[in-house]
Amino acid sequence: MEEKYSSNVLSGGKLGMVEVPDSRLTKYIALLVVSKVLKALGVFESYDILKFVHIVQFIFILKLGSAVILLFFQKPFSSGKIISKRQWIKLVKHAVFSCVVSLLGFFGLTLCGPLRTLLLFEHADVVVVALLSVLFTNSGGGPSKTRGAALFIIAVICLLLFDNDDLMSKMGDHPEGHHDSALTHFLYTAISFLGVADHKGGVVLLVASLFLKVGFHTAARKLSVEIGGSKRLYALDSLVSAMVLLPWVIFLSVTTESKVESWASLVFPFGMVIFSVMILEFYVDAVCSAKMEAPRCARYGTFALFSSGLLLANFWTHPLTDQIRSMSIPPKLVSTEHVLSGGVMVSAVFFLMSSSILAAPSKKGQKGTLVGYSPEGTPLYNFMGDALQHTSQSLPRFITDSLKQILEESDSRQIFYFLCLNLAFTFVELFNGVWTNSLGLISDGFHMLFDCSALVLGLFAALMTRWKATRIFSYGFGRVEILSGFINGLFLMVIAFFVFMESVTRLLDPLPEQTSTQDMSWLRSRFGRTPVSVGGLLVNLVGICAFSHAHSHGSKSCSSHDHGHSHGEHGHSHGGHGHSHGSHGHAHGSLTGGMNANMRGVFLHVLADTLGSVGVIISTLLIRQFGWLIADPICSLFIATLIFLSVIPLLKEACEVLLLRTPPEHEKELNGALEKIDKLEGVLSHRDAHFWRHSANMVAGTIHLQVMSDVVEQRITQQVTALLKDAGVNNLSVQVEKEAYFQHMSGLSSGFHEVLAMTQQMESMKYPSDGTCIM
Amino acid sequence: MLPLSIKDDEYKPAKFNLLLKLSGWFRSILAEKTSRNLFFFLCLNLSFAFVELTYGIWTNSLGLISDSFHMFFDCTALLAGLAASVISRWRSNDSFSYGYVRAEVLAGFVNGLFLIFTAFFIFSEGIERALEPPDHGGHGHSHGDGGHGHSHSLFNGSAHHGHSHGGHGHSHGGHSHDEHGHGHSHGGHGHGHDHGGHQEPPCSNDLHPAAGKGSSKQILQGVLLHIIADTLGSVGVIISALLMQKYDLMIADPICSMLIALLIGVSVVPLLKESIGILMQRTPPSLDHTLPECYQRVQQLQGVYNLQEPHFWTLCTDVYIGTLKLLVAPDADTRWILSQTHNIFTQAGVRQLYVQIDTAAM
Repeated sequence: MEEKYSSNVLSGGKLGMVEVPDSRLTKYIALLVVSKVLKALGVFESYDILKFVHIVQFIFILKLGSAVILLFFQKPFSSGKIISKRQWIKLVKHAVFSCVVSLLGFFGLTLCGPLRTLLLFEHADVVVVALLSVLFTNSGGGPSKTRGAALFIIAVICLLLFDNDDLMSKMGDHPEGHHDSALTHFLYTAISFLGVADHKGGVVLLVASLFLKVGFHTAARKLSVEIGGSKRLYALDSLVSAMVLLPWVIFLSVTTESKVESWASLVFPFGMVIFSVMILEFYVDAVCSAKMEAPRCARYGTFALFSSGLLLANFWTHPLTDQIRSMSIPPKLVSTEHVLSGGVMVSAVFFLMSSSILAAPSKKGQKGTLVGYSPEGTPLYNFMGDALQHTSQSLPRFITDSLKQILEESDSRQIFYFLCLNLAFTFVELFNGVWTNSLGLISDGFHMLFDCSALVLGLFAALMTRWKATRIFSYGFGRVEILSGFINGLFLMVIAFFVFMESVTRLLDPLPEQTSTQDMSWLRSRFGRTPVSVGGLLVNLVGICAFSHAHSHGSKSCSSHDHGHSHGEHGHSHGGHGHSHGSHGHAHGSLTGGMNANMRGVFLHVLADTLGSVGVIISTLLIRQFGWLIADPICSLFIATLIFLSVIPLLKEACEVLLLRTPPEHEKELNGALEKIDKLEGVLSHRDAHFWRHSANMVAGTIHLQVMSDVVEQRITQQVTALLKDAGVNNLSVQVEKEAYFQHMSGLSSGFHEVLAMTQQMESMKYPSDGTCIM
Repeated sequence: MLPLSIKDDEYKPAKFNLLLKLSGWFRSILAEKTSRNLFFFLCLNLSFAFVELTYGIWTNSLGLISDSFHMFFDCTALLAGLAASVISRWRSNDSFSYGYVRAEVLAGFVNGLFLIFTAFFIFSEGIERALEPPDHGGHGHSHGDGGHGHSHSLFNGSAHHGHSHGGHGHSHGGHSHDEHGHGHSHGGHGHGHDHGGHQEPPCSNDLHPAAGKGSSKQILQGVLLHIIADTLGSVGVIISALLMQKYDLMIADPICSMLIALLIGVSVVPLLKESIGILMQRTPPSLDHTLPECYQRVQQLQGVYNLQEPHFWTLCTDVYIGTLKLLVAPDADTRWILSQTHNIFTQAGVRQLYVQIDTAAM
């Protein structure tokens, strides 16, 4: 069924790539994940080894070891074609390049630590190719790929700028003590020439070598075809590069003395590294990319690699793992480990996201949904996209579009402006808090951010209300607004409840002033300090003005107290003002019937905030002036009750709408209309009359009419529609039934289950499915 | 002319009798299995909370008192579920022409919302604690949570099985907070059993939903999720306490709570999505694929020109309602078309169908 109705016949999107179900690939995926975890382990291990083994020696041993094993497995000399001289030269070139790439990679490892190396260096080729094609060509593959590339770049920048790795500063103190060969010295001078710190230099180095690696892999593809398979090439390559490195290693071991006391203790870790990094990963990758598509392979592999890297980075230096490691590593090392900082975590998340986006196969064309069939029998597709399906849209265009939509209508515009104001205030507060290092301000700012969520919800609902009806949501999205009002009201209820409980407990055993500020009381923490509370109060007052305007349609002017706001001391008296005005606005709102539940929810939220700040100001005043400690809980009790009472009508109305009640404001007219319908000529009776409000401006209704057998149905339908439209129903469907039909249907509906059973039986008998011969 | 309504003026509603009403509610609660189980579970919970409260007042321990208040708050979810299951069986009247069956969807929605809210707070607290781990003092309270969590989950398992022995429950309720290991394993059991007892008969059948005999899965799902969340919370507390005591992994506590919050969040999402879909009159997902076929068959009927404005939506679990308009030829047999259309959609599972037949202008 899925294939039949949602496949895209016109643009043929399904023809290109066939997704194999995951269940068949489970063992390959498991294999991949295991190999990636082992690889992460190996990289961590090799970082430890590299602390006392020279990098060239290290690579030489790796290449030699893998060459021995691969020669044993692949037997490149005894099987396959004979390699010509020209190919040998190419092989040598290839080996030199691969040596350089792995040198750079492992050098980056010594600089950046294993986790960062994993994050930067171990990307699948597919990902990098997609990234490069986005960056340097025009046909990047749509906005989603651009997003992925942006994420990638953000991740790299995160690593560069926000990664406070204090080991780096430690290493910066003795930069000359660490590197001991011409090569490393050269690289260090190059990095310092670039003018960046060691660690940042490592990041740059790793990114560069990542691109080099990918380019190298792409270039080597032709050679691997010539040689006869990538496995054979790999085996030969490791052998040749080991031979290339041999003279250098001999030179090194002659000129410098080794830091290693016994090579014997290193056999196990080396074997482990060789097995996991060089061999296992290569084979598993080869198998998996043969069985799955490369993108999916890359997605799972990257995910496994990064997450295991993160875990290992967390636990590598832990005492528990130290016990395990001590058998392989001589415990003489001073622990100079790279720490796990917030920047790394953030960038790891970004890397994961970007690689999953970049590795995703690019979809050409949209998916059409079947709407129906034309009378000629050709299928009709809907390319609008359903509500939750338009994922791949350009982000900037999306933002401008939605901004335009927001500013189009007064409701959403007001919410938006107020949200901006609120956010600006919050950010000023946060900034100030960070600047002066005051924890109170910062937490206050976060509380305000949380408060903004109600506004965001309201804004979103106001936007979504205007979406067009889709096939799935056939009545449109008007109900979002009611739902949002409901949710807002519900949360206000919860908050009021908590404030109430808190104030009751404080009433019962009043705490001294010092501890009461530490309470998690909503009001206290929100408006604990007077300047902030006055500021918040001003913001909220503006909001109340704006929203009550929306309710009373400009009949009331709020400008009367807009002039003296600059005086901090006057804040108190204004508080009183705002309060009374607020309740006015509310009264208006409920008098006009409160068509828009969403706006009412937002308004109530702002009102509650204002009440809270007013209450805090009043209670502080009372406490300071008269020393009435009891004023605080009583105030909050009072406010909680007020919030509670003002939310109840909203909740009740929203509940009624959601429960499909007949709209109360139309009830009388509807009853009158029904009576008139019964008196129409030819109408016998009506049944199953349902009317309900779907959204603010849509009342839906359905009705069954029984008519005499000799009247014209069309006329009846028109009359009934007109009558009910006068009563306010604007989405009506009338079913006109003549007597015979009514008898038939009453038989049908009395035994629904029997009918169902009957039809199922008929289905099993394979009746002609065009539906014309059921009767 | 017979004076049919002569006594209408004298008729007064029966005096508000609290006792009568209460007994009526009680009977309607006990009349059905789901609400009965919910009610018993609620009673157990409440009695436990009361015992805790009185004990707390007796010994003047603030921790116990606040804990019992927490439990009262937890009870609200159950209460909401119970109220919904009673309300959804009220008869339909003039104002609520569909009856109150949607109350169950609403209850599920509210429960889901609260759970999301809770999960969010747990998560933010976990982050806070991960960034700056507090001293050991804060753990006494969470231990208490674990303690009552296990009683929850236990009751859950027994309540849904229908053989809840009072004594059994009480002995567990009386468990002191120390024996975490027990509670943990039992909690897991309760959770496992629960999925079996979760399939209830679908809500009211036929065209008159008032004659309901089973409340739907939304309530149960919501309540179940709530209880599972509690159980998970206690399990997480126990595990993290173990980890902290044995291995001194202080990071385990925030990580555990974050994981649990994520789990709760993820498990609530389907419930929320479903109930929001129903509340927004979404086309029922189960009909998504059968409807196009039905449209096609209707359009192939003789004399039908076009099919317009099809609206299909869910009233409550498994009750689907649809309206559509047909544009037919002037000489078509409308009666036949009407019954054919009804037949076609009844087979697809649509209980109430309103077909408006418009004749095309010549």
